[in-house]
Amino acid sequence: MKQKSRRTSVLKWVLPIFCVCYFFPALFGQNNEITVTGKVSSDSSFLERVSIQLKGNTKRATLTDQNGNYTIKVPASGTLLFSIIGYEPQEVPINGRSTVSILMKAVNNALDAVVITGFGGSQKKASAVSSITTVDVKDLKGPTGNLTNTLAGRIPGMISFQRSGEPGLGSDNSTFYIRGLSTFGTGKRDPLILIDGVESSAIDMARLQPDDIADFSVLKDAAAASVYGARGANGVVLINTRTGKEGAAKFFFRAENRVSSNTKNFKFTDNITYMKTANEAAVTRTPLAVQPYTQNKINHTAAGDDPYLYPSNNWIDQLIKKYTINQSYNLNINGGTNRTRFYIAGTYNRDNGVLNVSPINNFNNNIKLANYSIRSNVNMTLTNTTELIVRVYGQFDDYNGPIGGGSRTFNNALWSNPVMFPAVYPQAKLPYIEHPLFGSAQNVAAGQVTSTLYLNPYAELVKGYSVYKTSNLQPQIELKQNLNFITPGLSFRTMGYLRRVSYYAVNRNYLPFYYTASVDPTTQNYNLNVLNDGGPTSVGQVGTEYLNYSENGKTVDSRLWLEGSLNYNHTFREKHTLGGMLVGVMSNYETGNAGNVTASLPQRNNGVSGRFSYAYDNRYLAEFNFGFNGSERFAKNSRYGFFPSVGVGYRISNEKFFDPIKNVINDLKFRGTFGLVGNDQIGSITDRFFYLSNVNLNDGYYGATFGRNDGVGSYYRPGLSISRYANDNITWELSRSLNLGMDLKMFRDLNITVDVYKQWRTQILQPKSSIESAAGFSAIPSSNYGKAETQGIDLAVNYQRSLTKNNWINLRGTLTYATSKKKVADEIQYPANIRYLSGVDHSLSQGWGMIAERLFIDDKEVANSPVQFGDNKLMAGDIKYKDVNGDGLVNLDDMVPIGYPQEPEIIYGFGASMGFKRLDFSFYFQGSARSTFFINPANIQPFYIETSIKYPGTNTVDPTLAGLAYQNNLLQVVSNDHWSEDNRNPYAFYPRLSTTRIASNNYNSTWWMRSGDFLRLKSVDLGYTLPDFKKIKLRAPRIYFSATNLFILSSFKLWDVEMGGSGLNYPVQSVYSLGAQLNF
Amino acid sequence: MVALAAGLASCSKYLDVVPDNISTIDNAFKLRVEAEKYLFTCYSYLPKNGDGWYNASLTSADEIWYPQNDQATWHAAFRIAQGQQNVSDPYFNEWQGVRKGGDGNTRFDGQKIWGGIRNCNIFLENMADPTKVPDISAAERSKWIGECLFLKAYYHYYMLRMYGPIPIMNQNVAVDADLASSYVKRLPVDQCVDAISAWLDSAVTLLPEKILNENTDLGRVTKPIALAVKAKLLVMAASPLFNGNPDYANFKDKDGVALFNPTFDANKWVKARDAAKAAVESAEKNGFVLYRYTNDVYGLNDTTKIQLNIRNAVTQRWGVEHVWANSQMYFANEALCMPPTERGTNTSRFQLQGVWAPPIKIAKLFYTSNGVPIDEDKTMSFNNYDQLRTAAAKERFYIEPNFVTARLNFDREPRFYADLGFDGSLWYMKDGNANGSDVGTFYVKAKNSQSAGFGHFTNWSETGYFVKKLVSWESTTRGISAPVWRSYPWPETRLADLYLLYAEAENEATPASPIALTYLDKIRDRAGLKGVAASWAAYSTNPSKYTTQSGLRSIIHRERTIELMFEGQRFWDLRRWKEASEELNKDITGWSIQATSDASYYKERPIFSQRFIAPRDYFWPIGNYDTRRNPKLVENLGW
Repeated sequence: MKQKSRRTSVLKWVLPIFCVCYFFPALFGQNNEITVTGKVSSDSSFLERVSIQLKGNTKRATLTDQNGNYTIKVPASGTLLFSIIGYEPQEVPINGRSTVSILMKAVNNALDAVVITGFGGSQKKASAVSSITTVDVKDLKGPTGNLTNTLAGRIPGMISFQRSGEPGLGSDNSTFYIRGLSTFGTGKRDPLILIDGVESSAIDMARLQPDDIADFSVLKDAAAASVYGARGANGVVLINTRTGKEGAAKFFFRAENRVSSNTKNFKFTDNITYMKTANEAAVTRTPLAVQPYTQNKINHTAAGDDPYLYPSNNWIDQLIKKYTINQSYNLNINGGTNRTRFYIAGTYNRDNGVLNVSPINNFNNNIKLANYSIRSNVNMTLTNTTELIVRVYGQFDDYNGPIGGGSRTFNNALWSNPVMFPAVYPQAKLPYIEHPLFGSAQNVAAGQVTSTLYLNPYAELVKGYSVYKTSNLQPQIELKQNLNFITPGLSFRTMGYLRRVSYYAVNRNYLPFYYTASVDPTTQNYNLNVLNDGGPTSVGQVGTEYLNYSENGKTVDSRLWLEGSLNYNHTFREKHTLGGMLVGVMSNYETGNAGNVTASLPQRNNGVSGRFSYAYDNRYLAEFNFGFNGSERFAKNSRYGFFPSVGVGYRISNEKFFDPIKNVINDLKFRGTFGLVGNDQIGSITDRFFYLSNVNLNDGYYGATFGRNDGVGSYYRPGLSISRYANDNITWELSRSLNLGMDLKMFRDLNITVDVYKQWRTQILQPKSSIESAAGFSAIPSSNYGKAETQGIDLAVNYQRSLTKNNWINLRGTLTYATSKKKVADEIQYPANIRYLSGVDHSLSQGWGMIAERLFIDDKEVANSPVQFGDNKLMAGDIKYKDVNGDGLVNLDDMVPIGYPQEPEIIYGFGASMGFKRLDFSFYFQGSARSTFFINPANIQPFYIETSIKYPGTNTVDPTLAGLAYQNNLLQVVSNDHWSEDNRNPYAFYPRLSTTRIASNNYNSTWWMRSGDFLRLKSVDLGYTLPDFKKIKLRAPRIYFSATNLFILSSFKLWDVEMGGSGLNYPVQSVYSLGAQLNF
Repeated sequence: MVALAAGLASCSKYLDVVPDNISTIDNAFKLRVEAEKYLFTCYSYLPKNGDGWYNASLTSADEIWYPQNDQATWHAAFRIAQGQQNVSDPYFNEWQGVRKGGDGNTRFDGQKIWGGIRNCNIFLENMADPTKVPDISAAERSKWIGECLFLKAYYHYYMLRMYGPIPIMNQNVAVDADLASSYVKRLPVDQCVDAISAWLDSAVTLLPEKILNENTDLGRVTKPIALAVKAKLLVMAASPLFNGNPDYANFKDKDGVALFNPTFDANKWVKARDAAKAAVESAEKNGFVLYRYTNDVYGLNDTTKIQLNIRNAVTQRWGVEHVWANSQMYFANEALCMPPTERGTNTSRFQLQGVWAPPIKIAKLFYTSNGVPIDEDKTMSFNNYDQLRTAAAKERFYIEPNFVTARLNFDREPRFYADLGFDGSLWYMKDGNANGSDVGTFYVKAKNSQSAGFGHFTNWSETGYFVKKLVSWESTTRGISAPVWRSYPWPETRLADLYLLYAEAENEATPASPIALTYLDKIRDRAGLKGVAASWAAYSTNPSKYTTQSGLRSIIHRERTIELMFEGQRFWDLRRWKEASEELNKDITGWSIQATSDASYYKERPIFSQRFIAPRDYFWPIGNYDTRRNPKLVENLGW
């Protein structure tokens, strides 16, 4: 806060007297002049540039210096007026004292607050014209170790949603976009995140502790972001951490214990129904097929006979715990002398997974993510006009988890057969064997024994563990020089940082030995037979008792950043406030894992940006911003981009004519900005130098052979292939945006901020795949021709009222509506009859799918309907699609845009906080609307045997699971309601069963489309602040209970709807926590 | 202040992160060794015709039939033969450069013809600049330019043959061209032919007469090759499909420009004749002759020698009549041709698959031993061609003595026996017995459960005939180990092909020309037949047939079909002659291969009813992928 206010223009207010005066002013004629000195401070630090003025004489005035000190010569009987933006003005009678030190009180008034504008700058909110949301840091506190999960619904203008709850490297992060998704290129689409000016990733932000944050701002429009010209197009998140305050060291300690559990679990059917339904699935399409489960097996299982011969598992119960317990500890110390102040913070955060690991090994493979960080911010006053700030931040993750991650464990549990094998046989059965006796069986598909084994999800979970460690070190130096000696209001600032990030991961696991049980004819007991010992009948990968080891990737990268800025702020003749800032920036990023020479070259930006503002009488506001930025990616002629923006504001409430209604409408300001921002992070990072061709000069695929090739060898030379053609014209992606806003304060306590905007995104890099084949490109050239439009509304409402001295209430709400439209994209020339396949004028995340009419009633209807996707073996109970273009065929040409976009267009939140004496309570609801998603029917198709297991969420086969096969389990919703001969319901949840993929049923269609709308109780907080314990210097300790994701209202019940289509992964978590915070 | 100033001052240099020596396309033209690789890249797009899987024409007409099991769905080309070509995802889609192999096989999908043309243009642009590739001699530079010009012309010719009117890509579409200006248009056929022919003319002046360093350069383009392709181009352009074809009279592009010239132009045949003559002369001048088997170390019978004349004309490596053999693709399918034989010891149907099956209609096409069609021979009747007959001793170099087989397999011209294997036929191979003799050598037994017969779960001959012609007599199949196939660079153009083109064009330019007869007779002589005049006069029910233009035309067509059988020419010939709608609308038939007795085996059995829809099937569909991308691209008629 401190350095920001320094840079803010000082307004000399002649204020009506309404603040409390503690002393009766001595007005009697003592004419002796005295020199008064003193210190002005706030709760957090000394205040610089506080205006001090003798009441009644505007010429007797001064400002505080960096350390809040001032000296003024005034009459001993005078009264001093103290004022600075963001604080309540004070009048203090001197009463002959030579030292008057005061504490300024920050105003809890949104319009008087300060907004952070980037590059160390700040602006009084009242005079800001651009769209910047400042977030109350208190709102970001929640029972989660991940900051990104507290954003949804809190920040007007941010679309945010969480798809997975798995602790890890970003896996439980919420996705967030400022003002929605506004580009569809392959480049950067998420906002620029700057923490203390350091360009950071969403993971860095996730790891940040709210306790350490001083301000959190979101720059949304062009006027705010154009100083970040090169990369501000998708919005900017600015976060500053706290700085130290002069005084004895103060400790703050917070400890929190959290209970975390899945918001929703999947419901499987019971295993008897599973087997009966599996038999049904086998014969429903081929009546003579072999039924996989004999009545004998079903009967024995139902009777609960020998659990090893007749296994019956509920994998979710066996692999997933009901809850897990996590901890988090934060400690920070701040203090200092008038020359040096420090803020030191340390964090230890521990997130465990909900995986249930029985102690079969001496290694634990539940997910265990420990992250710790240390932060040291030291401010040193070198001279009266020079301040040096050194910040060092280190952040470290230690992760331990199952091979393949938590989502893999959930997938395994969902896609494993529950009745073919037990998790593990008792060791006593083969006492001489030391390795665990995991159960499995040879996979049988359609009556044929295959060469794969059933995947045993328990064995997969316990077979080994994966470890990764990250470290992130960021030393940073900032120097501020006050240049008042040149001209008042001028200052200079320079900042530089280094950021080194490293990561490595290793896997250690054994290959499980699998056993299968067979009945011993003599004893009627069971015998165990090993399945994969490498013998002649061995199936699948041979087991090992020792651990295998594999390295799972290492990354190292580094960034160097230097910036320097010249700032100017001054008010002339009381009415003309002039501000200016000029920034020069250079940045260099390199990675050690680029993979090829061009990708390994440094990524660089440099440029100059500026901001010039003028305010007249606090009524008329104008601003001009620009960024002139360069990027190494482009050819010389387009290497630099110029991104100007303008803004104007009109604070109508400061007009004379407004006075009569000022009691009702206390403050009203209209704002408008228009400008341009760029984005250089387009395309894939490995495909960066568009002005260079990328050529393989030794490509064997394009070689040729000549010569007699008889007795002597032939003559072969490799050929050449081009994977990118040089194109000098590739340039910046541009965002032009218009923002109209209004800030309103009514009835003293109600603040409303509303912004409407429209953004035109142009020059989006798109492949020109519409270039038809005759052009002969071996790589599709790209060009900046994509266009998109977005528009929307950000609304924030805040009502805050102190009822009595200790009782207060705060009501808040935000609404973000962001909608987008593709205007020009890489798209083919659809003939008129299938023009609906075009994405133009649809949302950037619009989904296409078939229109499902219902299930086929009978086979006759199938025969008389258009052939669907070339499959003429469909039957009654398969999904019947509409032949949209009426060509007598149902195929991909019949896909139409269906439903809402797949990413929500509306995110909203509302809640209240209240304090009653020592008790505080708050709750917050968060909702999402206007989105749809698709259930992936292949994922829930029961009984299907998948023999080539892919990495979760990808299409790449996982070689470590070779020889194993999934057989999907049966969800209760499928067993309850699927089409069958007994339930010929043409609207059943699931179509006719099958043991093979019925491709036609698995296309995206209205059949599998669901609404993504929800409203959830996002957080509840209950705290009690105890009185000070003076004896142990403990000040106002607070204990609290908080919870997140308590319940959800949604029409979708299968899984947590916020996860959308990826619902079979690690679920979003509900967390309940108990914490204490101590200050001493 | 310092940082700010520094940041501003060193602006543009700071962003110059790319060092020199990053490989770009310029590097390909800095040194001769690199430029040579670029030239080879241009060569690498040559169609892989030596593998039936990647040959667009070998199995897409009716020459060769696959077993009617799941193999029927493996091969893109064979799916065309089965009438499954479609517009939404065409088979053998050369326009897009996909599905060129089997149904999902993408092995050569990166080698797209249009991409090859683009590379040719890049090569030609760069080599035309004398400052590029400074270390190459002027002579070599001009030779390379000639080779690349030829390739560019050939690739256009290849597309023209498949698609009819095509865009002529003489200039590459610029990388940064806006979409509208990047759309190419199909040009009228005559313009296409003129452009390609002009490139070939330029190439001819730059190309060498023959390859001097055979050990390193054999397979590279020479003057006779360029002239041969020009002859093929002009003969095609003069043929009925392209020359005044009324079916395409109204086929216009989106601007209303007619893409086919609806008026027949007789002069096109004159130009074609001149081109064919030039090609023949150039080839002969450079030493190409019709192959004759000499150096008879095994003491073979004359009958066998004639068969080897015919077989080796194709299967001899770098044969004396291979005007153009493609060193990029050696023939890869000998295993598909040859079945296990009697007296051979290898019975594996994986190693000796024998799945390429010529239908009975193909077997009927061959002449009688008198050198006339089987339905024209007045001295013998083939009306009851499934009648059983026992092989006599005098036929022992064709059919295993005392073997009972069908009338159709007796009294046929040597090419019948050289080209085809069948139940009872001899299959002479160098290793057919210990001393290489043609007595007591391999022969075929093809009834159900016999070594070459039906019974294996995937590999069998669907018709009872086999392709002997393409199997080199020097391949070793004896023993039980995997055969060693001789393989040979696929002959794209043989001298016989040029003779036949010349004869055809000569007859069209000068009706019933005696020159045409002369060249036909050269082919017949090598095949062990009397001349046309002598054969027809003596044996034909229509003895004066050759004296009229149309009579001679049908003789030439038949001769060409027989001579070039199983070389993938028939598919293109039937199209340019506009005979496909008749020929490819017949039934594919074979013997009753599941039978075990003579009586039941030799019953003709329908296998597949081929359907050829005219005029749709005369050209490939360009396909939705491209027509939906380029609004100027008009789809072929009927698709």
